Amino acid sequence: MTGTAVPEDLLRGLAPQVLGAVVRRYGHFDLAGDAVQEALLAAARQWPDQGVPGDPRAWLITVAARRLTDLLRAEQARRRREDAVAQWAVRRTAPPADRVPADADDTLILLFLCCHPALSPASQIALTLRAVGGLSTAEIARAFLVPEATMTRRITRAKQRIKDSRIPFAPPAAADRPARLAAVLHVLYLIFNEGYAVTSGPSLTRADLSAEAIRLTRLVHRLLPGDPEVTGLLALMLLTDARRPARTGPHGELIPMNEQDRSKWNAAYIAEGVDLLSEALPKGEPGPYQIQAAIAALHDEAPTPEATDWPQIRALYEVLMRSSDNPVVALNHAVAVAMTDGPRTALDLVDALRPRLAEDHRLYAVRAHLLEMAGDIDGARAAYQEAARRTHSLPQQRYLNARAARLASPG
Amino acid sequence: MIMLFGSQRDYDAITGKGRDAWPVEEVAAMHAFMEKWNRELVESGEFVDAQGLTAPVHARRISLRDGAPVVTDGPYAETQEVLAGYTIVECDSFDRATEIAARLADTPHPAGATTQGEWHVDIRPIAETTAGFDL
Repeated sequence: MTGTAVPEDLLRGLAPQVLGAVVRRYGHFDLAGDAVQEALLAAARQWPDQGVPGDPRAWLITVAARRLTDLLRAEQARRRREDAVAQWAVRRTAPPADRVPADADDTLILLFLCCHPALSPASQIALTLRAVGGLSTAEIARAFLVPEATMTRRITRAKQRIKDSRIPFAPPAAADRPARLAAVLHVLYLIFNEGYAVTSGPSLTRADLSAEAIRLTRLVHRLLPGDPEVTGLLALMLLTDARRPARTGPHGELIPMNEQDRSKWNAAYIAEGVDLLSEALPKGEPGPYQIQAAIAALHDEAPTPEATDWPQIRALYEVLMRSSDNPVVALNHAVAVAMTDGPRTALDLVDALRPRLAEDHRLYAVRAHLLEMAGDIDGARAAYQEAARRTHSLPQQRYLNARAARLASPG
Repeated sequence: MIMLFGSQRDYDAITGKGRDAWPVEEVAAMHAFMEKWNRELVESGEFVDAQGLTAPVHARRISLRDGAPVVTDGPYAETQEVLAGYTIVECDSFDRATEIAARLADTPHPAGATTQGEWHVDIRPIAETTAGFDL
């Protein structure tokens, strides 16, 4: 090996463009994925020695198309042996030479295809990471802590489903577009959360999921720079991920926001998130991602917990509550109310949510914090213990038990 | 399949509950050890699957009483050792699996940690139902 390694970013960035182009020209989404993977492998093997070609994208498309032809021939031969009619030959020829291929649109169509409502959310996520993110099945399986065979089956089923439903590789009809874009954003949001919600244990590979979600959302933002909710989602991810370095202590223990060392927050992410948000907000009625990003920005920009603009956060939660009837949003609203109107008013709001969140540890954790604020030490301790009993997450149990223990022995 | 056991009391100690609560660095050391053990299995290609179970207090038992299914919450006494997690490895021999499992004897824990009785893990070969039918 004399050459230099091919930057992984280059191949990852090209993967969806190449897959999109190959599927647009030849169809066969299922086989095209395998062909593109093999082209990427060939690039990783050959480019270090032979140098990166002048137009790496064209090189990859050519190699993938050749490989797809081989795969189709093998498939065709197999089918002939089975006495089936080979009427599924290459669906379309190359696009007219006078049309400039729209690479960006291909990637977007690929995203719409992977996040199609005919697929379950788990399949949408797996397919998006594989086809658009260019992650290997083994990597996706590791990130979701499932055996590779399970993930392989999930991806194969999703591809089969797309094949069977004859969903065309084309932009969705104008009427379906907002709903399809919402599905794409939701999938990216789920991928981000999967990586962010975990705090310890075998979680190291899952932090990569947040990074991947941010990378893919940046990609969508590049493709649809004028969409305020896309911008809002990217801002929300950056403003949330900015706090990651301060969220856990040296031993993986959870640290609540008001005790975090704010100097550890990622200032570059905060600045970028705030800029994106200021760009999106004036574009009409803000959607839920923009509002959540605005709340995250208010937290991130406060130099101390006391300096947080709680009246503004409270107002934003009220806007969110009007657009969705989500009890967890209502619970967060109650926390903001505690900071503006005191814990007793907030406790009434929390108690009103009891019927809807009876099994949820978060309700008891919030009650515990409010009771502690109100000076009801015994009540707070009992609520922390109750919350610890209800959560299944060991780091959260540890955090809640520690709060309860601290109240048991003051000082 | 390597089966690891724990009691509700062990879970409580690890999650910082009660007088026997482990200090946070001890928990981190234990996690780091288990991660390393797991990673080595992945690297050697012997790893198949591993899952941890939540505390016994979250368990439910379904039993038959007078012919009707009855669901009971958390049926385990807090000192009773129950399955806490498992690791499935695919390796050359039963002896190799034994060697892998025996490394767990070095799992760090606080010097004063109360262990219920003798520490143990169990290893059992998984029945290969399709073996012998391939050809």
